[in-house]
Amino acid sequence: MRIITEAVAGTLESSDLLVKVSPSRDKTLEIHVASDVMEQFGAQIRRVVDDTLKGLAVSDGLIVIEDKGALDYAIRARVQAAVLRGAACEELRWEQLS
Amino acid sequence: MPAELEFYTVDDGELSQEREQIKRLLSESDLGWDSRVETFVFCKKGAQLIACAGLDRDVVKCVAISPAFRGSSLSLQLGSELLKVALERGHFHLFLYTRPENAVLFRGWGFYPLVEAPDRVTLMENSPIAIQQYCKDLQALRRPGGKIGCIVMNANPFTLGHRYLAEIAAEACDWLHVFIVREDASMFTYTERYELASQGLSDIRNITVHHGSEYIISRATFPGYFLKGECTVDQCYTAVDLLLFREYIAPALEITHRYVGTEPICPITNKYNQDMKFWLEAANSRSLSIEVVEVPRITRHGSPISASEVRRLLQNMDLRKIKELVPESTMNLLISRFGDQRKSEMTHGVEH
Amino acid sequence: MLFLPGSKAGMLSTAFVYKPDCVMFDLEDAVSLREKDSARLMVFHILRSHVYQGIETVVRINPLNTSYGLKDLEAAVRAGADVVRLPKTDSASDIQELDAQVERIERECGRAVGSTKLLAAIESASGVINAVSIATASKRMVGIALAGFDYVIDMQSQRGDKAEPELFYARCAVLHAARAAGIDAFDVVYSDVNDDAGFLKEVELIRHLGFNGKSLIHPRQIELLHNAYAPTEKEVGYARRVIEAAEKAEREGVGVIALDGKMIDAPIVCHAQRLLQRAEASGVRR
Repeated sequence: MRIITEAVAGTLESSDLLVKVSPSRDKTLEIHVASDVMEQFGAQIRRVVDDTLKGLAVSDGLIVIEDKGALDYAIRARVQAAVLRGAACEELRWEQLS
Repeated sequence: MPAELEFYTVDDGELSQEREQIKRLLSESDLGWDSRVETFVFCKKGAQLIACAGLDRDVVKCVAISPAFRGSSLSLQLGSELLKVALERGHFHLFLYTRPENAVLFRGWGFYPLVEAPDRVTLMENSPIAIQQYCKDLQALRRPGGKIGCIVMNANPFTLGHRYLAEIAAEACDWLHVFIVREDASMFTYTERYELASQGLSDIRNITVHHGSEYIISRATFPGYFLKGECTVDQCYTAVDLLLFREYIAPALEITHRYVGTEPICPITNKYNQDMKFWLEAANSRSLSIEVVEVPRITRHGSPISASEVRRLLQNMDLRKIKELVPESTMNLLISRFGDQRKSEMTHGVEH
Repeated sequence: MLFLPGSKAGMLSTAFVYKPDCVMFDLEDAVSLREKDSARLMVFHILRSHVYQGIETVVRINPLNTSYGLKDLEAAVRAGADVVRLPKTDSASDIQELDAQVERIERECGRAVGSTKLLAAIESASGVINAVSIATASKRMVGIALAGFDYVIDMQSQRGDKAEPELFYARCAVLHAARAAGIDAFDVVYSDVNDDAGFLKEVELIRHLGFNGKSLIHPRQIELLHNAYAPTEKEVGYARRVIEAAEKAEREGVGVIALDGKMIDAPIVCHAQRLLQRAEASGVRR
């Protein structure tokens, strides 16, 4: 999946996360995560994000995340929502989202 | 039944009774009404307006939350709403002005501090890496040398005065970086201004003409620049633009000197030049100071050459006088853009 | 049945601590149009996680004639929701159409065919009139709910404060349909979350009418509802003795059950069993 436009999903509210995606300027995949619980959960958050992006075959783009203590399910959901919006993709292929 | 929190988005032109409520809320936070705000996002609990945030294109301002609701999740809800509205209006990259002590609140909104004019104002943007990426791009355009100069010009249009300033600077420096102001708020479009400056300077070996950006004299960093004649000079905003230059742009290109032409006419530009000496040279900063060099304007018939004079002459289509003030490349554009008008006037005259 | 907006991570992540009997993830009225896609993914992923293990899960999809409905259904079935709630059910064909789609999705994703149950929400005069055919329209039907807000608008009446005669016929119709079809009946949402007295009064009414449950919009209503439905110590004590008497009669091969000198019919035994089940689920009333 290719991110072709800027897109946002999620909120800044507690237990949620804000995911902003935009097209990459140089065909790289760059991911930035900010979280109040970066020390304890930063690696875990990053793992779930990487996994979710891989499932959607996202190989380049800029992903900026503001985490507010979200559980894994919310991370997956918001990252997928942002990427689908950024790719202007209406069709859902459930194998990629599972 | 206790009222639920409701969020509304209203464009400035459609605000009616809420306008007074918003003004009151802002004054509770020692903030004034900013007429440049195009859209307000606000939250009401029943009939009471308890929080608001304004959008002036891609700049967030006038954010106020009623004291009774501060520290609750309301701030984050307001922030989320605002970001969504901004995106709907096509603004993904946002800036935000706030008092320095409130910057930490907006960190929670996903905003990161750029520069702070101590005790006055902090400028933030909603990305942890945008300016760093911008600077990285600039770094790739570095040139060797110990004395690197810089000029930021609007060039509306590019005149012999601009040419002269650039010549002086290029002569004195190992390399000169020229930035063209990016905002399309002038008589000549950005594309035209950039083109004319590039052409007008193409023969000088040690100059790079750069595209302007949101970080250099833009609506976000120095709104006062675009409201000349409408508002009084505003110290805070010149500080923001100048500190951005000193702390980010100059280091990226290793700029050591900033060149400006003396400003005899426009009070805002003149103040900007004076402020430059303070913020770039004198003020405390973690970044190296930059020497400001004020170069007296070149004159023609006793008057300094200025773009505003060229624009004034254009109104009378006085192409002969204009020719003395601009290089050939600029003249060609003026003729192609405005010359037909002149021709048709002449033809008209003959028929009569 | 606790309503949870599919777009609110905070509520989704924490509501299980209140131990509702059943949660309903809402993709319909609680979610704005521009957030439908994101909320759908939130519900999909939370269903696939372990957060609500052990609690019955319901997903309220958008009507199938919207651009969202079918995608919502795919998400709900594939993620393993126990029940799909269809809003604005007006006729049996609505349920039949839903049934067909659910079966298709179950086959496509390898979920046991028939494992996804359905719940119809009645929100209009037509729905009330067709309640029986709706309740029996599919083998998957496990419940029928009355949704008061839209129904009242459709009826051109107004929700009053007390007694609510405007809902009377609808409640009875939905109940009868549920009983005839052998499925559960759910009553309307009580929206004033701070009015405990009003809430309890309504619960008393619907409990007597025979509703199996109620749609709730705030966790604090859970305990109130459980308590109101819970039998008293006295009732539990009596029910236990009824069951004992029935078991004794069976052991002794006696055809008639007697307790305290009175004859106990089969329906009474049945009622006693249900009461003990309720005591098990809701506890005993304080």
